[in-house]
Amino acid sequence: MFGRQLKYCIIAVLLILLPTCVWAAELISQQKFTGKNEILLTFAAPLDKAAAKNVRTYMVFEESDPDIKLVLNEVILSPDGLRARLHFAEPLNTAKTHVVAIRDIDGKEKASVQVKKSYLGYLLSILISALLVNNFVFTKYLGLCVFFGTSKRKTTAKGMGVVFTIVMVVSAIMSWFFYQFILIPYDLNFLQIVVFIGLVSLTVQAVDTILRKVNPVLFNSFGVYLVLVIANCVIIAVPLMMANNNYNVVETFMLALGAGGGFLLALYLMSSVRERLDLANIPPTFKGLPISFIVAGQFAMAFLGFSGLQLF
Amino acid sequence: MKDIMTIIIRLTLSCMLAATVMGVAFLVTNKAKKHNQHVNEQKVRYSLLGYSEQKPIPESMTLHEIYRYIVTSADGQSIGYLLPAKEGFIFVTIDLEGKMLENKPVQIDEAMVREKEERDKVIRKVVGSGKDIAFADQTIVVTDNGKRVAYLLDGKFTGFKTFIGVMLALDPQFSILGLEILEHEEDPGLGAEIKQKYFKNQFKGKSFETLKKLEVVKEPMPDGYVRALEGNAAEADAAEILKQYVDHDIYALTGATISSRSVNNGVKGIVKKFAYRLNILDSVLVEQKIAVAF
Amino acid sequence: MANDKTSLQLITRGILSENPIFKLALSMCPAVGISTTVMNGFMLGIAVLFVQVFSSVTISLFKNKIHPRIRIPTYTLTIATWVTVIDLALAAYLPEAYAKMGIFVKLIVAFAIITMRLEMFACKESAKDSFWDGLGMGLGFLVGMMVIGLVRELLGSGAILGYDVLGFKPLLFFILPSAGFFVVGLMMAFFNWVELFYKRSRRG
Repeated sequence: MFGRQLKYCIIAVLLILLPTCVWAAELISQQKFTGKNEILLTFAAPLDKAAAKNVRTYMVFEESDPDIKLVLNEVILSPDGLRARLHFAEPLNTAKTHVVAIRDIDGKEKASVQVKKSYLGYLLSILISALLVNNFVFTKYLGLCVFFGTSKRKTTAKGMGVVFTIVMVVSAIMSWFFYQFILIPYDLNFLQIVVFIGLVSLTVQAVDTILRKVNPVLFNSFGVYLVLVIANCVIIAVPLMMANNNYNVVETFMLALGAGGGFLLALYLMSSVRERLDLANIPPTFKGLPISFIVAGQFAMAFLGFSGLQLF
Repeated sequence: MKDIMTIIIRLTLSCMLAATVMGVAFLVTNKAKKHNQHVNEQKVRYSLLGYSEQKPIPESMTLHEIYRYIVTSADGQSIGYLLPAKEGFIFVTIDLEGKMLENKPVQIDEAMVREKEERDKVIRKVVGSGKDIAFADQTIVVTDNGKRVAYLLDGKFTGFKTFIGVMLALDPQFSILGLEILEHEEDPGLGAEIKQKYFKNQFKGKSFETLKKLEVVKEPMPDGYVRALEGNAAEADAAEILKQYVDHDIYALTGATISSRSVNNGVKGIVKKFAYRLNILDSVLVEQKIAVAF
Repeated sequence: MANDKTSLQLITRGILSENPIFKLALSMCPAVGISTTVMNGFMLGIAVLFVQVFSSVTISLFKNKIHPRIRIPTYTLTIATWVTVIDLALAAYLPEAYAKMGIFVKLIVAFAIITMRLEMFACKESAKDSFWDGLGMGLGFLVGMMVIGLVRELLGSGAILGYDVLGFKPLLFFILPSAGFFVVGLMMAFFNWVELFYKRSRRG
């Protein structure tokens, strides 16, 4: 049953992400960064070779600084005239959107395209960052009460993690709507805390009621954790971070998913260790919480190794 | 039923009570927040210029604020500058090739200029309909008896974790007079060390030519240099040591090379862009014989 | 349940026998997250103390007016209100300290210790006793945060309250974020050890 639900989830995620990768222009069919100081353009039809090779044909600037043109060193054209590699004098800031404009000989603009890192990659980087690099438990130190309270058994850990992820995603998306359409337009930013905590409690209450009616079996195994969810900082941290970083709805979704997944991962890892700790011979002063903290510290050090990880 | 009514009434009452408390707190603190922010900014500016409470800024010195906007219309983009003129303010738009398009007077209060929303509203009216404006950045030109002595620039760039906000002071030849880290979220003990004197003061005194080629090196920092940067060495010695390293690359922080590198690149980018823009603006002002306050 | 404890007993209970960090093991997140210096610990401790005292007093003043079925939402609302107030005040008057604490000030709203005190104490007792109890719990948290901060600052950067006392940095590791777990774990173990030792010596 879980497998089917997982499949639906994946399909839903793909559907949400699909429209973001479709992007095309007439003259230039593809453009991307191919190195520290290089942009690769692919034309839909071969251009006049002399013009395509001329550095003056191209005008490149960062979108936020249209008045500062980047200095092109040379243009290398592929033999079929379809691909041009633009070499720049200085390294590009690939985090920013660049605009490449193609001009006539008399300087009139024929076409312009935006070059940016793929949005999908950016979304995935938010997800990975929340999941591993900035894992909420091990590098942001949130939700520790629940983390230490419910990581004694693997089964509880899994249940808790799943419930957390669901509540996080739902409440984060709701908070986003409230934040964008009520708090910002009416200049009520200072009400953030009250509104977000209210929405979290509401979500928990709703999940509780729905789960009880729709799937009593699932409720029996997960319902107990729902009470714990309200008094937890992991959940409230997601909307607060969303507000801080000004994410849009898809980005918020990814952040919440990553944060929930990260929490699930942390709980699972911890519970696996703690099940074994039960069998180990621990000095009496360290029994219980102290040894768990030491283990968590070791995990945190291991997670420090993820920092700086950049896949996209 | 009666139960529900009392619950609703009590919840409403408590919500209203809470709202009053928060509303009052907001009104009281908001004013103080703005005031403190302004005072703080001013303090950072003066300290970058080398002045403090013990050594107040001389009367003859004035700070002129320049606001840069990006103006977008149907036929392309242009850059707009809100400048203090001899009297009042003017809004000068320059196209991407560096030619002046318009020069219009702006009716705005001295105090209102600092409020972003007010300023945007007025400028929107000045540029006319059909054009969109976006605030880009703010620069301060410091003059002493009408002669330019320094520039203060704000900037923001990506660090290792999130954004790093800085303020830079430059002399008229674009050499760095000082660097201050305003905001960052780097790791304590590692990247957060960018705020320490021994890191940020390395930028002090770097000339524009040096800066253009400035790199970050992963070498242990000489002890004498650290002491001089921290201000713990005797004054004469410190000057000697600092002079020795004036063209040296930036020493990376231990365990925070990425943070060090992003500060270096960020500062480089800010200064280079500023120098480029200021040259264009100055030549336009000279060419068109526009008199400005700085 | 009549309360027969004096105000002094209520305070010391919060600091020693029911210390929220070391004994009750609640509100661990900030204890690990931002206790890198004594000053950070002190500032967040003050914020928590403020919220705890004000929420406790508010709830115990209105305890007869609160309908039992909406108890928890009312607690949350009360806490959220006071957190907002302290958040705004810190942002306005102490912007530098506020920037260091980051998101944790806002997260006070989800601290289990505050809700727990409201549920267990403030909704039954008089406003005066709730005040002392809140003060005790808040101080207990503050002391805990400052002790952890002291250890980490001294071992990590060789300084106390920003003043260099050792003249060198013994172990940079302690100022790194992950060390928070170790310090808290070791200190808990230390307290357990002291307790065990005490019990054994009494037994003879």
